[in-house]
Amino acid sequence: MRRLWRSVLFLGRDSRLRAWLKPWTDSLNTFSKGHQSLSVVLGMAVVTTVLPFIILFPPFAGFATQGDWVQGFASAGIFVLLALGLNVVVGLAGLLDLGYAAFFAIGAYSYAYGASPFAGTHFPFWPLLLVGAMVAALFGILLGAPTLRLRGDYLAIVTLGFGEIVPVVFRNADTYTNGTNGISGMYRPALPVTGTFLGLNPVPYYITVAVLVALAMVFLYRIQDSRLGRAWMAVREDELAAASMGINTVTTKLLAFAIGASTAGLAGVFYASKVTIISPDSFGFTVSFTILAMVVLGGMGNVWGVAAGAFVVYEIQSELLKQMNGFVEHLNLPPINLGVTTIDLAKVDFLQYQFLLYGLALVGMMLLRPEGLFPNRRRRAELHDVDDAEAANQELVEA
Amino acid sequence: MDVGTLTQQLVNALTLGAIYALIALGYTMVYGIIELINFAHGDVFMVGSFVSLWLLADFFGLRGPINNPAELVGVLVVAFVFSMVVMGLVGVVIERFAYRPLRNAPRLAPLITAIGVSFILQNIIQIWRGPAQLNSPQLINVQAGFRVGSAEVHWISVFVIAIAVGLIIGLHLFISRTRMGRAMRSTALDREAAQLMGVDINTTIAVTFFIGSALAGAAGVVQGLYYGYTFFTIGFQGGLKAFTAAVLGGIGNTTGAALGGFTIGFIEVFASQAGYANWSEAIVFSILILVLVFRPTGLLGQPTAERG
Amino acid sequence: MKPRPLAFVAVVALVASACGSSSSTTGPQVVKIGVELPLSGGEAPNGGPTLNGIQLAINQIQVPGYTVQLNTQDDAVNGVNNPDQGAKNIGTLVSDSQVFAVVGPFNSAVAKAEIPVSNEAGLIQCSPANTNSTLTLGDPAKALRQAHPDQIAYVRVVANDDFQGLADAIIAYKDLGKKSMYIVDDQTTYGKYLADVVQAQFTKMGGKVVKRDGAGANVSDYTSLLTAAKALSPDVVFYGGVTSTGGGVLRKQMVANGMGDLPFVGGDGISDGAASVASSFLNIAGDQGDLNTWMTTAGAHDIPDRATLAAAYQAAFGKELGAYSAAAYACTQVYLEALKAVGPDRAKVRAYVTDTTHTFNTVLGPISFDANGDINQEIISYFQFDPSTKDWKFVRQNDPTKA
Repeated sequence: MRRLWRSVLFLGRDSRLRAWLKPWTDSLNTFSKGHQSLSVVLGMAVVTTVLPFIILFPPFAGFATQGDWVQGFASAGIFVLLALGLNVVVGLAGLLDLGYAAFFAIGAYSYAYGASPFAGTHFPFWPLLLVGAMVAALFGILLGAPTLRLRGDYLAIVTLGFGEIVPVVFRNADTYTNGTNGISGMYRPALPVTGTFLGLNPVPYYITVAVLVALAMVFLYRIQDSRLGRAWMAVREDELAAASMGINTVTTKLLAFAIGASTAGLAGVFYASKVTIISPDSFGFTVSFTILAMVVLGGMGNVWGVAAGAFVVYEIQSELLKQMNGFVEHLNLPPINLGVTTIDLAKVDFLQYQFLLYGLALVGMMLLRPEGLFPNRRRRAELHDVDDAEAANQELVEA
Repeated sequence: MDVGTLTQQLVNALTLGAIYALIALGYTMVYGIIELINFAHGDVFMVGSFVSLWLLADFFGLRGPINNPAELVGVLVVAFVFSMVVMGLVGVVIERFAYRPLRNAPRLAPLITAIGVSFILQNIIQIWRGPAQLNSPQLINVQAGFRVGSAEVHWISVFVIAIAVGLIIGLHLFISRTRMGRAMRSTALDREAAQLMGVDINTTIAVTFFIGSALAGAAGVVQGLYYGYTFFTIGFQGGLKAFTAAVLGGIGNTTGAALGGFTIGFIEVFASQAGYANWSEAIVFSILILVLVFRPTGLLGQPTAERG
Repeated sequence: MKPRPLAFVAVVALVASACGSSSSTTGPQVVKIGVELPLSGGEAPNGGPTLNGIQLAINQIQVPGYTVQLNTQDDAVNGVNNPDQGAKNIGTLVSDSQVFAVVGPFNSAVAKAEIPVSNEAGLIQCSPANTNSTLTLGDPAKALRQAHPDQIAYVRVVANDDFQGLADAIIAYKDLGKKSMYIVDDQTTYGKYLADVVQAQFTKMGGKVVKRDGAGANVSDYTSLLTAAKALSPDVVFYGGVTSTGGGVLRKQMVANGMGDLPFVGGDGISDGAASVASSFLNIAGDQGDLNTWMTTAGAHDIPDRATLAAAYQAAFGKELGAYSAAAYACTQVYLEALKAVGPDRAKVRAYVTDTTHTFNTVLGPISFDANGDINQEIISYFQFDPSTKDWKFVRQNDPTKA
């Protein structure tokens, strides 16, 4: 928590500012430690309220209108949920999952079976959220069971395999899934006051996803500090030692898969209700990888960090790089004269270089912050070599 | 299925498996030495196919089969050496800038840079040669062959299998017989101890990347010769299959990678034969999961110490 | 490193001044046509020439009193068309008040995510390329229009796949007189549906489909599929899919496996230029592979001024006319005609375009839309490879249901 406040406020290295603000950050930290759930909810409320207004200012305003940004935030929320869920599996329990999009797909298809003309059903959205989460959790356990004996990267490939198998099944079991066409025309959520959500008004979706993220965060914080959370970390660090200390590694791991998967299921239901069409192609390997990159970039194990990482990566991919052309034209920069050649940035088609820039961003961010943008202090301590162990213990004592 | 079709499919499976095996070797070598799943490796293979396309089609101006045997051998040798050396160097550069700075970072950090490198390589090729499939000259006449019973065996298949087996054996000899090979093995076992024994870790890892990427470069040449086309997205699928092959065989084990490659080739070919081509990925991964459930470290993998 | 306030201030000032510069000038009113296409990654060859067609139309055709500009959105994420991004892009276009109509999308899956949004907003969309039948017909189409079930806000200027599939079956069964078919599809919405139609029609005519395989873009080795199919001795092969997912490679490998003399039929997914065009189906298939090939396109080839259009396109972009450039040009013409008639009001433009009594004069000839938003002129063009020009040769065009 404390690190996050610092990083967000850019105070990490400015000692004067830090000293000046210390009383404030200290009291914030004390508060957040004492009332963790409340502070998460308050934090999310502040973020949710402030975000739609921050983007009215430059440089963000140059990229898109407020409506577009909020639309994008609502989609970003889906990935924040996904990253939070994957963080349980990878960050807390240390089980590398490369096929996480499978659970996302399962959640989305659960909604399709509950509320679409294809299935001929129209159950309300809210209970389906729970159903989707539970179905995904069930599949999490089903996948987890055969992998209990596997370690490290063998586990990774099995999860990757599962992530490949699921879309193939959805694609080829035509009778039940409408095959490659996917299922379209899903019913949108409805609330007593606002009525049915609209595709053009992102605000209800935005608020819904913010609430879901806040709930997921409260839940994850609670569970992280519970007996189960400590068991996950013990299993992650040394499975044998954990087992000999009386931890049931089987249930511990299965619960990690189930809880991680249920968050993805939740995200899947929300996604399906927002996009209103799902097809097997939307849940491939790239999605799993994007989520993993979000978790690692954000700082594995740190709930707020992971959420921020997901948000940043999503915005880079779907907003900044997509609207780069308009933004640069907007800037009216003079052509750059390089002697041999002149580059007029306004004429460069940035869409062409999206991949390149995204790849460079991934490599660059990783090289600059190998532990992620907002590393988890305890986790960070553990990941370093023996030389750091003492410092780590020191930090743990301090924390 | 009659005997002719069966024989034909066996040859098809061996050829497909040979290509997977070549790519899988690079995966497994890199994993063996620094425990990194190098997801950019498939894209190194892809770039290799474009480098060879450039050399053959643009530089030599070749379009189709070469009928003069001496000329054919000469061009093939140049193509393989050129593509392997270029890709080897590319591999070394990638290691130097994207992985070496993260050697002591959390284990997943280089995995993410690998994904980043993969995007970068794809985009560079896409900007260079355009985002579409390109025809690649098939220097060996793909229709020429000989008959075994009622099956038709093409020389190109024989060539692909021979190249793969030759390189696999060569690699095996290199690792088991040479000084550098011993350095690689010791670094894989215990990096610190190897360093204490006077092994230059940086050079050893760089050489590993060179060899692994060079093998992917060779696979890239084979892609052009055998399939006659290349595309900037082939690295992703090729890499995925090869990674699966490496794990199936026991990751870190070169013989296992070759075995895994051939196994996957067989599974895919016989899934197609049975009319389940659209399920082939699901079948490959289901078998992989089954194998790992019963042999958690792959077909030939050694149970590793607790670090794994 | 400390934050550098000065640099930040400079950026703010720069952006602020840029914002200020686009203020009021008298003269023609600026209106925009939204463009929603896949433009990056592997999709660029699809979206690029289509966008050029739109650009060419607004360059060539002036509407007095208006300056027409484009608001271009890309729906490819990680290089692949993405329904979520498409729906988001439509939202972006809806929120740009200057946009009065949208050309796009390109892919049917994206259309399924966009139609509900444009229907809700009453913003008209015209697709130059979607051929999937369920976008406009029957219950699936109605399910997409939940906000205003009886209001059409999506039209297309190409015939749907029911027509094209029938035409492909006619080529195989009637023109070529073949009776046993091997079908490969590329596992996409487009390819699989087209292959389904061909399979149904060919069987209905009395032919037999001896084998059907699905092989997606991830397959580069068709050898084993072909070996298995060869044993069943088909006399014609149909491919449902596009070149970039393997059409040309499949044909090339047929040659390598001694099946090059079998006739090969495909849909408009393999209509991408002469053998001299790098990466076209004919180019990838190779010198022997392009012989004995037939294909159809979902629109009229014999358009009134094809040569003029192609020359103008060549002059503007230095390239050959793309497969959907003319259709995109036609969509734009429909909109410009509506703009001239009723001005840039979205509701009026939508009503004008979907009015089934209106006929529009376009590069495709006079066109009109039916009550579902489908084009009435459901013309399929038939092509055969011509070895002397190394290009597709136009054979005939008709409405296959009436032929």
